[in-house]
Amino acid sequence: MNSEYLILFFLLGVILVGGAIVFSMFVAPSSKNSAKSEPYECGIPVKSDAWIQFNVGYYLFAIIYLIFDVETVFIFPWGVVMRDMGLTAFIEILVFFFILVLGLLYAWKKGALRWV
Amino acid sequence: MMNLQDFLTMRHEILLILVAVIVLIGEIFISDKSKHVIINLTIILFLLHTIVGFLPIQEGKLFGGMYQNDLFRATLKNILNIGVFIILLQSSAWIRKEENRGKISEYFILLLSTLVGMYFMISSGDFLMLYLGLELATIPIAALAAFDTHKNNSAEAGIKLILSSALSSGILLFGISMIYGTTGSVYFTEVAANFGKESLQILGFIFFVAGMGFKISLVPFHLWTADVYEGAPINVTSYLSVISKGAAVFIFTIVLYKVFGQIAEMWNVLLYVLAVLTMTIGNLFAIRQNNMKRFLAFSSIAQAGFILLGIMGSNAAGVTSVVYFMLIYILTNLGAFGVVSAIYNASGKEDMRDYNGLYKTNPKLSLLMTLALFSLAGIPPVAGFFGKFFLFTSVASLNDYKYYILVLIAVLNATISLFYYLRVVKAMFIDPNDNPIPYFKTDTPARIGLLICVFGVFLVGFVAAIYEAIYHFSSFI
Amino acid sequence: MIQDIPIQYFLIVSTTMFFIGVCGFIIRRNLITMLMAIELILNAVNINFVVFNKFLFPHQLQGHFFALIVVAIAAAEASVAIALFINIYRRFTNIEVENISEMKY
Repeated sequence: MNSEYLILFFLLGVILVGGAIVFSMFVAPSSKNSAKSEPYECGIPVKSDAWIQFNVGYYLFAIIYLIFDVETVFIFPWGVVMRDMGLTAFIEILVFFFILVLGLLYAWKKGALRWV
Repeated sequence: MMNLQDFLTMRHEILLILVAVIVLIGEIFISDKSKHVIINLTIILFLLHTIVGFLPIQEGKLFGGMYQNDLFRATLKNILNIGVFIILLQSSAWIRKEENRGKISEYFILLLSTLVGMYFMISSGDFLMLYLGLELATIPIAALAAFDTHKNNSAEAGIKLILSSALSSGILLFGISMIYGTTGSVYFTEVAANFGKESLQILGFIFFVAGMGFKISLVPFHLWTADVYEGAPINVTSYLSVISKGAAVFIFTIVLYKVFGQIAEMWNVLLYVLAVLTMTIGNLFAIRQNNMKRFLAFSSIAQAGFILLGIMGSNAAGVTSVVYFMLIYILTNLGAFGVVSAIYNASGKEDMRDYNGLYKTNPKLSLLMTLALFSLAGIPPVAGFFGKFFLFTSVASLNDYKYYILVLIAVLNATISLFYYLRVVKAMFIDPNDNPIPYFKTDTPARIGLLICVFGVFLVGFVAAIYEAIYHFSSFI
Repeated sequence: MIQDIPIQYFLIVSTTMFFIGVCGFIIRRNLITMLMAIELILNAVNINFVVFNKFLFPHQLQGHFFALIVVAIAAAEASVAIALFINIYRRFTNIEVENISEMKY
C-alpha cells in the first residue's frame, strides 16, 4: 500500500464529511429559539449543571480496580516463560501475588471497599 | 538460568522489602489502640537491617544484567541507610502526635518503599530498572509530602511534587527512548558500546540530564524545590533534601561515568554551566529567606551545585569526593534538620526570627545547630570543609584554566554561603528577644539521632580511613 | 502492513504529542488537564519505544517491555496524583492552579 492511497483516503473523507455539512448548512431549514439549546429537546426541564459532584467512593473503587487491572499486564509475560524458568518463576509470582493481596487487605482494613 | 541462591545478591532490597511488608502486616492486624508499637518496631527492624547491610555481600549481576551489586553500590546503600535511620529517630516524636493517629504505619511503609526504589535505582544495570527505581522513589514521596492533610501548604507541596516529578520523568523517558532508538538497547553496557555521538543520541542525553536535573534540583529545574520543602512535614523535607537527593546524585554519577563516558568533554561543559548557575542562584535566593525550611531548601540547592564539581572530576578521585561529600552532607544536613524539627515539635515555630535568643534558653541545641551550619558552610575544623576541599581539588586536578575559574567561582560562592549560615548563628547567639522559645527537653530518639550526627561529623572529618575506604570502593564503579 | 508506513510518520506523531504534552502542562491551569498532558507525554514515549522496537530491533522485545512498564507506572502515578487532587479540592474547594499558591518567593 502506497502512502498516496492514504492521502487520497483522507482527502476523500474530508470532502465527503465536509461537503455534507456545508451542503446541509445551505439546504436545511433553521429556526432559532432558546428551547433549541436545551439538552433535552423533548421537554424535560434541566435541573442543574452537568458538572455535578460524584461520591468519592466511585473514585476509590475505580482506583483499586485500576491498580489490580494494570498489574495483570505483568502476569501475561510471566505465563509465557513460566515453563522455561521453572520453580524460580513460580516462587517469584507467588511473592508478587502475596504483596498484591496484602495491598487488597490493607484497602479492606481501611474501609475502602465499604460503600458509604 | 537463575537459582534461588542468586537472590542473595540483592540482600539489601529483599531485607528492606521484608521490613516494609512486616510493617504492612502489622498495620493490618494490630488493633488501632496499640498502633504505637509499630513506631518502635520499625525503628528496631530498620536498625537491624542497617547493621546487616554492612556484612559482606555477594557481588554479581541478576536478571540478565538488569540488576547489579558490588562493593561500591553496597557502600552507597549503607550510607543511605544511616541517613534514613537518623530520620526515623527524628520523626518518632512527630509521628506520635495526635494529629497523625491512624496513619502511623503509612508513614513508615511509604518511606521504606521509596528507599527500596532508591536501592534499585543505585543497583540498576539498565534504563528500565533505573526508571522503575526512580518512580518508586518519587511517587510515594508525593504522598508523604501531603501527609499533613489538615494543612493547605502540605497539600500544595504534594501536588507540586507529583506534577513536576511526573513531568521530569516524562522528559527523562523521552530521552531514554531516543537513546534506545539509536543504540538498540537499554542496557548500560550495550548503550555505552554502541554510543556513536549521533545528534539524536546527544539530544536524548540532554533530555536525560534535564530529567535527572529535576530530581537533584539543579538550577533551571529547581522551581519546585523551595515550595515542596516548605510545605511538606519537616521530616519528609529532610528526607527529600538528603536521602532522595543523595540517591539521585549517586545514580547520576554512575550513569554519566558508565554510559556516557565517551562524551565526557561534552557533559563537562554542560555540568560546568549547571554548576555555576546552581551555586550562584541557590546562594542568592538563600540569603533572602526567613522560613527555616525554605532557607535549608535553597542551601541544599546550592550544595547540589558543589556536588557537580566532583562529578566533573571524571576519575576515581572525583567519584570518591562525591560520595564522601554526600556522606558528610547527609550527616550535617540531618543535624540541622533535626534541630529545626525538634524546635518545631516543641513550639510549632519555624521562622528564623523565632530563633532569636535561642542560645539563652536551649544552649545545647544552638551549639549543635552552629556545628551543623559551620559544616555546611565548610569552615575548617569541621567535616564539611574536607568534603568541599576534596570536591574542589578533584576538579582543579583537571589542569585547565577554565576549571581554575570554576573553582574560584565555587570558593566565592562558599564565602557567600558563609554569610547566610552565619545569619542563623547570629540570630541564635546575638539577637535579643523578649520571649524566646522556652527551654524544652528533646525526646530520646531524636537525641540519639542528633548524637549520631555530631559524632559522625567529627568521625568522618578526622578519620582518614573512611576516605581511604570510599576511595577503595569507588574503583568498582 | 504496518511496515509499509515509513518510521518517520510515527516519530513525527510521537514528537508532536510530546511537545503538545509539554505545552499543555505549561499553559493549562487546571490540575486534571495538566495530568492529562503528562499522560500525553508518556504515551508519546510509548509510541517511540514500540515503533523503534518494531522497525529497528524486531528480534528483541526490550522496547515493548519498557512500554508495558511505563503504562503500569503511569497508572500508579495517576492514581496518586488524583488522590492528591481530591485532597487539594477538600482544602481549596477548586483545582485551578492560580488559587493554589500560598507559598511564594
